Amino acid sequence: MNKSLISFFVFVVGLAVFHNVIFPIFTPKEIGWILNRYVYFLLFVAYLIITNLILRLKPPIAMTALFVWGLGFYFYKFVLYPPIPWTLFITYMVMWTIGTFLFVSQDPITFREFRKPIVKTIVGEYKIAQMVALTAMPILVGFATYNSIYPSYQEPVELRTVHPAPPATTKVHGKTYPLESTNNPFRVDEQDNYKDSFPFLDADKNEYMKYVTEGGTIFFQNCHYCHGDQLNGLGMFSHVFNPTPANFIDPGTIAMLQEAFLFWRVAKGGPGLPNESTPWSSAMPPWEEHLNTEEIWKVILFEYWYTGWHPRTFGTEGSEG
Amino acid sequence: MLGKIKRSIATFSLGLFLAMAMYIVPGMTSDAIAKEVFAEQVFAEEAFAKEVLAEEAVEGEGEAEIEWGQDVFYKDWEGNPLKGPVSGFPAPELGESDYNNYEFAPSRMLLWVANQQHLYFGSFVLAVPIFCMLIEFIGIRSKEEDPVMSAKYDRLAHDLMKVSLTAYSWTAILGGILLFTFITLFPGFFKYMAGIFRPVMHVYALMFLAESGVLYVYYYGWDKMKEDKFLKWIHVSLSVLLNLIGTVLMYLANSWATFMQAPGGIDADGRFLGNIWHVIHSTLWNPVGVHRILGNIVFGGGIVGAYAAYHYLTAKTEEERAHYDWVCYVAMFIAIFGLIPLPFAGYWLMKEVYAFRQQMGITLMGGIMAWLFIIQAVMIGLLFFGANSYLHNGMSRVKGSHRYMKYCKYMILLLICCFTMWMTPHTIVMTPAELKAMGGAQHPVIGHFGVMSAKNTAVNLMITTTVLCFLLYQKANKKINVPWATVGNCWISAIFVGAACNIIFLGVYGYFLPANVRVGLSVPQVTTTLTTLFAGTAINISMFKDSESYGDIQWGTQSKVGTYAIFLLAISFTWLMGLMGYIRSAVRLFWHVTEVVRDNSVDAYTLTIGEAGKMLTFNTLFVWTQFVVVFWVGSLTGKKVVSKAPEGIPVPAQQQQ
Repeated sequence: MNKSLISFFVFVVGLAVFHNVIFPIFTPKEIGWILNRYVYFLLFVAYLIITNLILRLKPPIAMTALFVWGLGFYFYKFVLYPPIPWTLFITYMVMWTIGTFLFVSQDPITFREFRKPIVKTIVGEYKIAQMVALTAMPILVGFATYNSIYPSYQEPVELRTVHPAPPATTKVHGKTYPLESTNNPFRVDEQDNYKDSFPFLDADKNEYMKYVTEGGTIFFQNCHYCHGDQLNGLGMFSHVFNPTPANFIDPGTIAMLQEAFLFWRVAKGGPGLPNESTPWSSAMPPWEEHLNTEEIWKVILFEYWYTGWHPRTFGTEGSEG
Repeated sequence: MLGKIKRSIATFSLGLFLAMAMYIVPGMTSDAIAKEVFAEQVFAEEAFAKEVLAEEAVEGEGEAEIEWGQDVFYKDWEGNPLKGPVSGFPAPELGESDYNNYEFAPSRMLLWVANQQHLYFGSFVLAVPIFCMLIEFIGIRSKEEDPVMSAKYDRLAHDLMKVSLTAYSWTAILGGILLFTFITLFPGFFKYMAGIFRPVMHVYALMFLAESGVLYVYYYGWDKMKEDKFLKWIHVSLSVLLNLIGTVLMYLANSWATFMQAPGGIDADGRFLGNIWHVIHSTLWNPVGVHRILGNIVFGGGIVGAYAAYHYLTAKTEEERAHYDWVCYVAMFIAIFGLIPLPFAGYWLMKEVYAFRQQMGITLMGGIMAWLFIIQAVMIGLLFFGANSYLHNGMSRVKGSHRYMKYCKYMILLLICCFTMWMTPHTIVMTPAELKAMGGAQHPVIGHFGVMSAKNTAVNLMITTTVLCFLLYQKANKKINVPWATVGNCWISAIFVGAACNIIFLGVYGYFLPANVRVGLSVPQVTTTLTTLFAGTAINISMFKDSESYGDIQWGTQSKVGTYAIFLLAISFTWLMGLMGYIRSAVRLFWHVTEVVRDNSVDAYTLTIGEAGKMLTFNTLFVWTQFVVVFWVGSLTGKKVVSKAPEGIPVPAQQQQ
């Protein structure tokens, strides 16, 4: 039997078995260091390489390229979890396709080998392949056309700036704050000196923890319904909002921002956002109407304490005249 | 022969290192030195100002004759705004009458096209003399060892200057068009700028005159100064002078753009405070200058490479193919050499932008311009892919390369993984349904790639991989004979493995640090990458001593894929340059001069990504059309007219050769 064909079967049958039998084993409810989908994927790749080596199949470069490309597709489509948005999937696949092309075109010999079956299909040396390709192509184009014109009821994709540039100053409760130079008045202790303390328990021992405790109280009275009791953006109301509330645990949110930025965002809420951040789609109220200035600063202090992040500072980074 | 090529490549590398050092080190160190000098100067000025004010106070009669203003940027020892004598008019409140327009296109677009075309050509004509200087120098150095290669280098430098000469006139014409566009369409704004930069503009014009004079002597004196050794050295010295004048020209022109973006030397009303140096060397002047020099080298290398690649693909003879293949290699070598430090210069620039106005930095990296940066990331990735593809294909034609070709696929895998990390956006475009399926705005796995720790790690690994690829290319046809070959190879392996571990460790460590500390980690990451470049190359070249060859590089046998990669690089450079220029300029949003002169024209809006993309593509196509014309014009003088007698007609004896 043709070795290329065996190699192809090794891939297809292996994938079917792995996906239907082994994949469920590696995706339990409690994810572990071994039993997880990424280890599963590595096992599948190892199976492919080892089987091809043991059987000395040496598939032609075009088929190897197909396997490589297919592995990328399988990973991004089925293994990576939660599923990634379509735009990102397309982008990743373009990257992977370019990578596959670089692999086959790394020298003229491999590229010639890669082109050989394609050229032979086009010129008619591989008659069956030519018939299959010429039949499949219009069907695929038709299917894509059908898909694109089929009515869709999804909301359109929105390009939203999550962290817009803040204004130079903001006016809260009659006072103007320059955002670049305003600091949290309650940050009386520097980072890491309080990491072993705990709000509520140590509130009377430490002035800093007293403020954190007060901030925590305000947070649980007002904010946790949306931002979640673990500050991960998964509060009880979060699922009805679009976009979902900010996840403060994520390294890309408050960890990247100055406290003054948060002060502005909390005080002005959704309506205070610039147009690029679609103020109409944010449900956050302008908290300056419900909290006083001190309360806003304290709740910010709590958010940083809870997540363990330190606010962004620019004091020593750049040069000034 | 191979030994000579080796030596010339080594000399070439050394030359490039020195040239880079010449251009970059002053830029980098001058920042620190300038601050010290500046501090002293500020102290003196402040003392003088206080003295004058005290005298005025003592006199106590009438109002002070000199009005003192506070600088918008510069500060004194105590952190208070620096004071200076008001020496100009306040910035105008521009109105409808300060703007003119044509019916067929918005003024802003016309200015954009005029500006961009001038910058493209300016960049090219500034870059080519740098190559010519290096290539001619290498030609002189290798004359005694290898006269054939020396002549080849000299011919290449001369050919490039020929093209540059045509491009130079073209640049001047485009500069004139740009100036007229400013005067006719934005007269109010230009009047203000001319008021501030009056002396700089005159010096600029005079420098242009000097540049032209040196250029003409340099080019037209080429053949006359070719044979005599002393005159040849004078000739190459002229190229140094040419480059120095060119660099000063570029820095002067840069000062206008950097002043518009981050002004200094004026007060809040836009009044000039009497010190022209303050206006010129505002905070972004040095990083923009260094970034542009490197960008010019890469851009110039890309254009020369594309020119050579075109001739390579259409060459009729083997000799022609071999020549242009070699030119492609030289151009690519220069381009990649400029490309490697370019991201670091970019980081420096962004750091200074953040330091000037955090708001501006956020608009660029996280705000309205953030998506353009994602596009930039994609384009930079393409550059690295193109460069690596060229090196892989170039390596494959070298005898003995089979020892290293097997590693190419792993390097590609690493590049793709890093690139995936590099261009994963922090804010993902998605439908609400996808957002819910993902469980939030940030993906729990790939969401970690959206921050700078991941990006820095990815780009440093990509550069390190490209450096490794280049080292393998260098040693592809060499059988190493030095007794310490094993030790040397172990050192190279250790440097690269250690570098990769360090870069990854610092990247991961960054997630556990506050953002302001995390930013500082990019320095050791960059240092690690540069260590692989310098130490790796040094050890590699040292190992070539007494090496045997598996065979010469067969010039003229480069694969088509490798040649097309050069076109990809050239087009990507052009598009990317336009994109970054647009981002840098558009971040001023509705200001002509940030926070001083407001743009009150109807064009004071930010383009959508699609519209900006169309303009960039148009500019790219337009400039390439012009380059084709310039190259064609440049080739007219070089065409040998072969007089061929018609068949059947006898040729007189005196005409026969």
